[in-house]
Amino acid sequence: MVRANPDFAKQLNRIEKAGNLNYCYQCSACVQECPAALRFSDFNPREIVLCALLGVADELIGENSVIWQCATCYNCYERCPQKARPVEVITALKNLAFETGNAPEQITALRESVLNHGTITTLSDSMKKRRDELGVPAISLPEAGLLKKILGG
Amino acid sequence: MAQKELTLFPGCMIPLRYPQIEKAARFFFRTIGVEVSDIEGFTCCPEPWNVKGAGLTEWLTIAGRNLGIAQKHGGDLITLCNGCYSTLKEAKHAFSSDERTVEEVIKRIKSTDLPKPGDIRVLHFADLLSELWEPVISQCVKKRLEGANIAIHHGCHLLRPADVMKFDDPFDPEVLERIIESLGATPVRYRGYTDCCGRAILHRDKSLDVASAKLDSMKQAGADCVVVPCPACFEQFDLGQVEIKRKTKRVFDLPVLHFSQLLALALEADPSSLGLDYHRVPVVDLVSKFLS
Ligand code: SF4
Ligand code: SF4
Repeated sequence: MVRANPDFAKQLNRIEKAGNLNYCYQCSACVQECPAALRFSDFNPREIVLCALLGVADELIGENSVIWQCATCYNCYERCPQKARPVEVITALKNLAFETGNAPEQITALRESVLNHGTITTLSDSMKKRRDELGVPAISLPEAGLLKKILGG
Repeated sequence: MAQKELTLFPGCMIPLRYPQIEKAARFFFRTIGVEVSDIEGFTCCPEPWNVKGAGLTEWLTIAGRNLGIAQKHGGDLITLCNGCYSTLKEAKHAFSSDERTVEEVIKRIKSTDLPKPGDIRVLHFADLLSELWEPVISQCVKKRLEGANIAIHHGCHLLRPADVMKFDDPFDPEVLERIIESLGATPVRYRGYTDCCGRAILHRDKSLDVASAKLDSMKQAGADCVVVPCPACFEQFDLGQVEIKRKTKRVFDLPVLHFSQLLALALEADPSSLGLDYHRVPVVDLVSKFLS
């Protein structure tokens, strides 16, 4: 049997005000223009907020969760009459999924690249050549591992 | 001419994948007399859906470090990317809150000899267009795009969350349409005008389906090209059209330009100097047909 966990919502990272979810009155205004809801039958921002609120979120923060299909378009944020900010709830859920090792590989790899190189991708030889051809100034890339230092402390 | 000094926040995608956009932007800044300096030490903003999805606190710390560097060594930031714009602006906004986590992040940034982030402005290329159009830019325009129907795609993060971005109406934006009109072109409104490009959706086929729907709607409204303010949206529509063709056989043939490229053309940059042939959907016909 699925058990509700009223304390679950307290775990959500509140930096971006994900803590507003208890204002949700389940009106579905966030669903109409959600590009993910339009394309995935199991993606529904109203339901995601409800699950987070009730703490029935094992699936949402588990492996292959549908939350990674959110386009981060902020339509739900603008349309919600209650300022519940479904997109921030989803981001906070993604954080929990990541912490428990359930984030998709692409996400983990991209974060690693930023921590290791300071950028999402490195400067390829062909791109270096293209920059030279275009005559844009040489690029100064961040020192490797720099961010790990500041994040590590 | 109004002089302004700004610090370029280059981000990752433009310098590392689309330097032709950087080229156009630098030409633009020089031509309108805005001094833009390059400073060392910036990293990825970081990117506001994957890195932010992995960890908000980490995302905020890296963003705060970038803001701190700008504050210590430079001035107001100018970015050519909606991702950088939204991360830096949202982070700046978060630093003004009294959350405990935020205080911890500020402490950590200060410990690296950087100031508390927050006192500088974060500007998007589009802000510059709107703020300097009348006094400066309009007088530098040498070429027009008479008769071109231009579909603007704003990209979500320029507009939303509107209480933080404060750029324009989140669902009925007009500022950039005025710019297009001033160039003699017609901004076309189309179904799903402020919809997402779909880029952040992880499932690639569905992501491209979002882009397809938009391209289709632009085409139906008679658009000759798409103009975007963001390299991620640029990639989604330009490279995306190649992927869409491969996967679904649908062909739109809609050239995609970044606003900086459109402006560089209007300011009489030599089109052959702008690297437009690096685009996947050819731009050359558009330029020869409308630029005069
Ligand atoms: S999050 Fe907002 S828009 Fe969505 S169901 Fe709840 S109250 Fe309605
Ligand atoms: S931000 Fe995510 S949940 Fe909200 S409308 Fe966009 S895709 Fe849907």
